[in-house]
Amino acid sequence: MVFPSEEWFQQVREVYNSDRDLHSGGGGACDTTAGFSVGENRYFIEFSGLDCAQVRQCSEEDLEVTDFVLEMPLETWQAMLEDVQKNGKASSNLTLNSIDLELEEGIAFSPVDDQYRQDLFYRYNQNFQDFFDASSRVETTFESQGN
Amino acid sequence: MSEATEMPREHELDTSWMDNMAEWGVSAKPGKRGLTLADIQVGSYGELPKVSDNMTGRPRGSTARPEAYRVGAYQVHTLSEIWLENAEYLYEEALQRQWSSATDIPWHTLKPLPDDVEEAECLLCTFFNEVEFVAGDVPARWIARTTPDYLEARNVLSAQVMDEARHMDVFRKRALANGGGLMRMSGATSGFVGSIDLARDFTEMSTRLHISGEGAVLTMFRMGELFGQNDAEKTMYRLCAQDEARHVAFGVMHLRCLSETAPERREEIECYLDEAEDQLMAGQQNPAGRQSESSEALAVLLGGGIEHYDEGHKKLLVIRRRQLKEYMKRVISAGFADRFENGRSPVPAQYAATA
Ligand SMILES: [Fe+2]
Ligand SMILES: [Fe+2]
Repeated sequence: MVFPSEEWFQQVREVYNSDRDLHSGGGGACDTTAGFSVGENRYFIEFSGLDCAQVRQCSEEDLEVTDFVLEMPLETWQAMLEDVQKNGKASSNLTLNSIDLELEEGIAFSPVDDQYRQDLFYRYNQNFQDFFDASSRVETTFESQGN
Repeated sequence: MSEATEMPREHELDTSWMDNMAEWGVSAKPGKRGLTLADIQVGSYGELPKVSDNMTGRPRGSTARPEAYRVGAYQVHTLSEIWLENAEYLYEEALQRQWSSATDIPWHTLKPLPDDVEEAECLLCTFFNEVEFVAGDVPARWIARTTPDYLEARNVLSAQVMDEARHMDVFRKRALANGGGLMRMSGATSGFVGSIDLARDFTEMSTRLHISGEGAVLTMFRMGELFGQNDAEKTMYRLCAQDEARHVAFGVMHLRCLSETAPERREEIECYLDEAEDQLMAGQQNPAGRQSESSEALAVLLGGGIEHYDEGHKKLLVIRRRQLKEYMKRVISAGFADRFENGRSPVPAQYAATA
């Protein structure tokens, strides 16, 4: 599977939803929508209860209704996912939260600039981390590798 | 002696109690999250009195009993004093997102640390241990002061008390699990943190606790992923941060609700915010604020040892900057943006100074 692509996110969603062992303590039910901004591509994700209800490619405008958007340079996305592939889950310096803290302006923002909604990234952090950690079970190649 | 009606040992079967039912024929239906508090807010059971005259502990919607004792002259008995839009939801979320400090932290990843780093971590754990007591004790007092008619908001606070008990114990466990121990208490509870407990009004308390205090702590817990030395510490801080974000959400939503439903109290709330900003946000009792034992410990951890103190201190200033920015944006989200534009709040200047 090539990252970034809708198929890649779909595959991760399937893995995440199919094995409760991938949901760690503190990653219980939540309801939120978020966006991922990966290079030129935009993705929309929805968590509902214990499941990732949907993830799909979307337009810039679709992101406006989300609670928050995660945006980081393509190299950082790649470094994060390579690390997950290598270790089975993000190692400590490459968790979403760590990356957010290392960058001056962070990686999470609310499209309507509402801190209450941006705080959902902190409130549901474990679910998002578990989701990306689940990608360790999806064979991943990167666009930049010419696949 | 009990006020409950006592039946003689032998008596004619008297089923008149069957006539004393409240609204009957109610069939609340579970939603996709099971049968939640929101699902049972049906008919008269879902009606929230704007002012509650319930002094007997009568469950909302049940039939009154004339001889019931007055068990509580509840201080919080007007809806705007405590209400928030998503109380039912926050409560269910808290229940469904509990974690165990015994089994959800990978304690096996703790490894012996250099003395200065262990001491810094233990100092911080001692500090958080103290602060978490306050974060649990204070909401606990306000639960008992709130009319049972506002059970949803009370339940959110009850869940917070459970969360804070876990935070208290997880920092204690960390301090005692890696060759160190507790250090000298920080004394934070006698300053601003302690003053949270002196609040005379619920919103005064919530502004200090949920918005200023826990907002600042939330940023620090998130930073725990940077200064934690192993997976156990990083997980501990991350999971505490999730809970803290929920407590902060209570404060923001309550303040938003109050400013919309009781605009006559806005000026009073501005004064609470003035006070909080003069104290906690100015740095007193805040490890990421002015210089203190706990801020030195944070800098040692962020640097990775006392020899990298300066590097750690620089990272600490970044935490400080985040704290101030997120604080302002939360207060704006709660409906009090003006204070950052009209010069009333000292925080924009403090924020600019951290650039
Ligand atoms: Fe706490
Ligand atoms: Fe808290």
